[in-house]
Amino acid sequence: MAETPIPLEVRNITKRFGDTDVLKGLSLEARKGDVITLIGASGSGKSTFLRCMNLLEQPDEGELIVHGEAIRFKETKHGREPADWQQVVNMRAKLSMVFQNFNLWAHMTLLENIIEAPVHVLGKPRKEAIEQAHVLLERVGLTERANAYPAQMSGGQQQRGAIARALAMDPEVMLFDEPTSALDPELVGDVLKVMRGLADEGRTMILVTHEMAFARDVSTEVIYLHQGVIEESGPPEAVFGNPRSERLKQFLAPKH
Amino acid sequence: MINLHGYGPRLLEGALITVELAVLSLLLAIVLGLITASAKMSRSRAAHAIGTLYTTIIRGVPDLVLMMLLFFGGQIGINAITDQLYAHFGWDIFINVNEFVAGVITIGLIFGAYMGETFRGAFLAVESGQIEAGRAYGMGPWLVFRRIRFPQMMRHAIPGLSNNWMVLLKTTALVSVIGLSDMVRVAAEASKATREPFTFMIIVAAVYLLIASVSEWGFARLQKRYDVGFGEVK
Amino acid sequence: MDTLMSRLEALLADNSIFTLQTLGYYGEGLVTTVQLVFLSLVIGLVLAIPLAIGRGSRHRWISLPIFLYCYVFRGTPLLVQLYLIYYGVVFVEGIQDTWLWVLLEKPFVPALVAFTLNTAAYTTEIFRGAIKATPRGEIEAARAYGMTQRLMLRRIVLPSAFRRALPAYGNEVIFMLHASAIASVVTIMDLTGAARFVYARFYAPFDAFLFVAAIYLCLTFAILYLFRYLEKRLLAHLKPAGG
Repeated sequence: MAETPIPLEVRNITKRFGDTDVLKGLSLEARKGDVITLIGASGSGKSTFLRCMNLLEQPDEGELIVHGEAIRFKETKHGREPADWQQVVNMRAKLSMVFQNFNLWAHMTLLENIIEAPVHVLGKPRKEAIEQAHVLLERVGLTERANAYPAQMSGGQQQRGAIARALAMDPEVMLFDEPTSALDPELVGDVLKVMRGLADEGRTMILVTHEMAFARDVSTEVIYLHQGVIEESGPPEAVFGNPRSERLKQFLAPKH
Repeated sequence: MINLHGYGPRLLEGALITVELAVLSLLLAIVLGLITASAKMSRSRAAHAIGTLYTTIIRGVPDLVLMMLLFFGGQIGINAITDQLYAHFGWDIFINVNEFVAGVITIGLIFGAYMGETFRGAFLAVESGQIEAGRAYGMGPWLVFRRIRFPQMMRHAIPGLSNNWMVLLKTTALVSVIGLSDMVRVAAEASKATREPFTFMIIVAAVYLLIASVSEWGFARLQKRYDVGFGEVK
Repeated sequence: MDTLMSRLEALLADNSIFTLQTLGYYGEGLVTTVQLVFLSLVIGLVLAIPLAIGRGSRHRWISLPIFLYCYVFRGTPLLVQLYLIYYGVVFVEGIQDTWLWVLLEKPFVPALVAFTLNTAAYTTEIFRGAIKATPRGEIEAARAYGMTQRLMLRRIVLPSAFRRALPAYGNEVIFMLHASAIASVVTIMDLTGAARFVYARFYAPFDAFLFVAAIYLCLTFAILYLFRYLEKRLLAHLKPAGG
């Protein structure tokens, strides 16, 4: 049997906003079970990099290979665009994203949020999706809140619900865009606990976060970005324990 | 060139009547609106109740029905009053309700209710600290109103004011039904006489759009004036 | 039913204006008003949904004509639109000889067309505003979960926009009810038409118009409460407190 393809490969991504180069040729490889953490100061391009991975931002150059399949691009007068949107839609269904501001759909209950994409994008039978949703809700500790609307839940509950929504897609890779930055400090712990559980069971994850202790604990690889360039990367013990670049040392230094 | 079959001058007169009617009703509506807003915000229960009754009834009944009630009923009502005056005091007065005055009063009365809501919302949007600061510096209630509340309130009121004006402008068309020769009535007569409704109605529509566009520009300038001190630092 | 009628008759015995006959006029007028308003609102709503979507299109050849349509119909009096369509139809050469005349002979159809076009223009703008107000994050989430444009519109954008549009649309319904009074100007016997008839017959403006004003007031309140109920049901998700 052939080797299973790598879930996500990103090669040489560049991105410009106007005259500013935001990403200057970034590459990354997420193998099965990898937990890759992107760290860096605000404006280093880490969120943009993550958003390029499921094409919420269009990279100007570079390749994207999802589960062995390269995304095809074409040049248009507006710049580079995917050649086949259906391919992008299929790709996105394999990479589910968890957002900083949760972005649960406000007009649906939590349960409806969770089954929405599995039923309408993946074509899963509704009954099956609901059963699965209940399992996921229990897992994130929100069994009681299945019929609540997002506005009726705390930020921490919303984010755990959003993680359940992402899991319901049975994703190859989960992308986390600063999932705890919008939360009150006392709510961060519950969300991190759920994420740690995912890492422990071998989920492939790429996350942008400011939680350094957490990153050190769960990551298989840490990437430090500075002004759109990978300044340093490696296993967490090396990056956190023995930073080589002056900038990373400063970045990790305790702040007052 | 468009053939107006000699209706040109009358259309122009009609347009002037439309504009005069709209402007005068607007002034009346603003005065009534300020009174209504004060009544609804006052601590007096009676004033509050009257203000609420007025805005509820006006906003619950079609403009045209109110206009007919006031125009057709108004004459009878006034006659009844003058008859009483004659019977009791021997004063012989005759007041004829003319269509223009009836139109101004009705439209002013209708939009006074809408203006009342606009002004009330705008007054409530002024921070109480601003008023307190005025009082703390020894200003009396009237001075606080004139120098602080009113100018600050206007900033919040202008979008609603502008909106009410646009609706009011279109409502003036209804006076043609009670017999006032505004431009809609002239155009309707001309349409029937010449059997060319498109020519006349499209001209009238264009004049309405023109007035609306000019006033939109005017309100934008007014907003700029009252926005002084609230814009972003440039 | 018969006892009700006889009781009503007894009640009206001393009344010279409000006889069973005039009440019948008001009753028919009510039916006409409700028909006219309801039909124009329903057709206008159906038209407004695609128009609102097209209004936000990137293609100017789609969005510009819709913008102009809305601008003209919202910027001019409904009465002018009614005259234009009513007289415009009547004065078309030879229209009396075609089968269409069966429909157009009565003023109901031209009035319905004018009202429908008018409310469709207002409703288009209401929906467009509601669509534009869709939180960016919710759209991003839909894209990130692999939804196509069409699916996203159907499942996320429109359902959430409809709910947001509800209060403004309630106002539009009341506005149309009140605006429909001008149907009487082109000889339709709607509620206002009935009142004008009673006024002309008995020269009793207060009785004729106050009575009809009260009916309109009741209808307005009924609509108001209906929409308040709908808002309570459909906008529950925006209220922060649990329940």
